[in-house]
Amino acid sequence: MVRQIKQKPMNWIERLYIFEAFRGLFTTMKHYLRGFFRYETLPTVPYPEMKPEILPTYRAKHRLMLRPDGTPRCVACFMCAAACPANCIYIEADSSLDGRIEKKPSRFEIDHLVCVFCGLCVEACPVDAIRMDTCDTSYVHRTREDFIANLETLTQWNPNDYSQNDVLSQAAPGGIKNQQALESWKLRVY
Amino acid sequence: MSNYYNMPALPTEKSPKVPITVDDREVMVPGDTNLLEALQTVGIETPHICYHPYLPVSGNCRQCMVEVDNPRGMGLAIACYTPVRPGMKVATPVTSPRVKNARKAVSEFMLVNHPLDCPICDKAGECSLQENYITSGQNESRLSGAAGKQYHGTPENEFKDTKGQVRGGKRLNIGPRVILDEERCVQCDRCVRFMRHVAHDEQLQLVSRGDHTTIATFPGEKLDHPYDLCVTDVCPVGALTGKHFRFEQRVWMLSRTPSISMDDSLGANIWIDHNNGFVWRLMPRCNPEVNRSWLSNDSRLAYLQFRENRLLNTDKGISESASAVSKMLSSSAGKIAAVLGGSCTLEDAFAVKELQNAFPNRVEVFVGSLDTAGTPDGIAKSGDPVANRKGFALLGFEISAEELCKRAGEFETLVTVHADLWGANASLAAALSAIPNRIALSAFENATTQASTVRLGVNHWSEVSGTMVNCNGFLQKLNAAPVSPSENLMPAFRVLGILSGKPVSSASEAFLKLREQVPVFAEFTHESVRSAGVKLNGVSV
Ligand code: SF4
Ligand code: SF4
Ligand code: SF4
Ligand code: SF4
Ligand code: FES
Repeated sequence: MVRQIKQKPMNWIERLYIFEAFRGLFTTMKHYLRGFFRYETLPTVPYPEMKPEILPTYRAKHRLMLRPDGTPRCVACFMCAAACPANCIYIEADSSLDGRIEKKPSRFEIDHLVCVFCGLCVEACPVDAIRMDTCDTSYVHRTREDFIANLETLTQWNPNDYSQNDVLSQAAPGGIKNQQALESWKLRVY
Repeated sequence: MSNYYNMPALPTEKSPKVPITVDDREVMVPGDTNLLEALQTVGIETPHICYHPYLPVSGNCRQCMVEVDNPRGMGLAIACYTPVRPGMKVATPVTSPRVKNARKAVSEFMLVNHPLDCPICDKAGECSLQENYITSGQNESRLSGAAGKQYHGTPENEFKDTKGQVRGGKRLNIGPRVILDEERCVQCDRCVRFMRHVAHDEQLQLVSRGDHTTIATFPGEKLDHPYDLCVTDVCPVGALTGKHFRFEQRVWMLSRTPSISMDDSLGANIWIDHNNGFVWRLMPRCNPEVNRSWLSNDSRLAYLQFRENRLLNTDKGISESASAVSKMLSSSAGKIAAVLGGSCTLEDAFAVKELQNAFPNRVEVFVGSLDTAGTPDGIAKSGDPVANRKGFALLGFEISAEELCKRAGEFETLVTVHADLWGANASLAAALSAIPNRIALSAFENATTQASTVRLGVNHWSEVSGTMVNCNGFLQKLNAAPVSPSENLMPAFRVLGILSGKPVSSASEAFLKLREQVPVFAEFTHESVRSAGVKLNGVSV
């Protein structure tokens, strides 16, 4: 469907340009002076002194969810890697140590320099093992290799940073529902 | 009913064509086969689980339902065991809702207690159950709540999963190479029929009844047969999987290159499945005239060695090293013995012939690598490790390498091409150490490269294009998989081309030169040899 938007024709003052230019400059000056006198009311955020508020639904840095015993929920099915349009997920699979589970990742890497933050990996995961709800958007590293998140960094998150209603996060070690989850989980695997 | 079924009659080129009506459309199909194969010849795929063209028909899965006219009107019948009858009427789901319904119901039944394992199942991506679900099933699950899945394995293999549900036997170690998953088995009986009718060693059986049926070996016995990995191919689902490929890759990540297994003179047709420059598995490629759908464990697992101990040319470019050797050869007048190892392609052999032409009366050619030949096993191996022996003979190279060991004193230079003489028989080969210049063209570091004075690393057969003639006189084509471990490697025929001062750039170019000199190949080019190979006329077998 084509939608046509009619623009209001400019009147002769507007077409003179000079007055409109000053009107634009006035807006700029307004913000400039507000920065001096009423800093807090500015619509922009003075990053990095102040961090913007990011909602959990924002597609931020990835994390791997954990089982009650602390092992990653990931079963190394490669669905996320298959879905990834940037081809930046690298997985190596291995047999799980838990007799009730067959497969686990022995290597799980996401190259954040290549990732386009599309969230398709999260959509693809059949066991809700990968999420992008960390609200962490800053990537500051010294070498290219450091931008590659691995099994260790992806599982280093704290359940206390997540909502109490987030059952999966709270069932992880350190979460408020961990004890309860461990009981039904029974077996502990190191 | 007896457990012995009939082998399916497969259509051939000579099959008589008969008219049948499929979905109100008249088509000509081979008249001496079953309906499933006949429909396939006109491009109609019938979903099937238990039918396999090279196994006796068992007809137990009922997935291949079609409607066929009978005296009482149209009735459901299994396509895999219904012979074609001239003038018969057949209905597929295209026109018959009844067939559609029947297939859908069968698919649903098969999935009733099937585990939700696809994400971790090594068969996913090439699983008949998945394919049939997509083409014929697509039903909503009716197993919600209390009527959940009931997994049954043999009682001693049952366990409770992390959700507390009783599960059947997973990852059972039924042999040194194969893993069984009882939950995924659909009791199609193909593996049993393979072991019974092809391997002739009944090591697998269906035990128990009803939905408790499982596959098992005899008590205390293991699945252990030189062809046991073929059961992982015939298994339509992920119930039997190979340990060598377990969790290595997902099948959809692999690219396939059709090639020939060069460790046996039957030249079994294979797929080289590769990804990221590595070979991940070798799979049999169906060729009715050669290995059908089978591949021996030895040939299948050979890929595990493809990357081990590779001879890489570390110092300078391979072409410079080869030119240096070429100068050395032309600067002296002594005799040269060339040994063609079993995995040499026709192009390699022809390059040796060019070497003969380049140094007239100086080069004598020997074939084989001192390995002892076995006997044909009647499945997919002829027992002769010199894969291209027939091809060498067509080029006039027939003297065996044993002969060379006796006459070692006559020669000044030894050129071995893919021939590990010292590794195969060190005591016989010891005589060859008397030859002053020993040049080894080899893909691997082995006893022969150690015993040689010059080592030139070349590509392995999985990395080269070429042709070979198998023991039954079939001209077959190898294709290069992009898995070479180093840029600084060349196929042996190119290195030999540099040695003889007549460089060639590709296997097809080499073949064009070859066919000018050897009349049997005159009508072929590299491109005209299709993946199924061609039978050479007038070649004795
Ligand atoms: S967010 Fe998109 S690009 Fe990034 S890893 Fe996931 S699928 Fe790949
Ligand atoms: S899709 Fe989920 S379970 Fe599968 S490999 Fe990715 S993170 Fe792991
Ligand atoms: S056999 Fe494996 S891939 Fe096939 S349906 Fe079952 S779990 Fe899925
Ligand atoms: S193990 Fe595989 S081949 Fe054997 S009966 Fe079960 S599904 Fe069929
Ligand atoms: S394929 Fe015809 S009954 Fe199984």
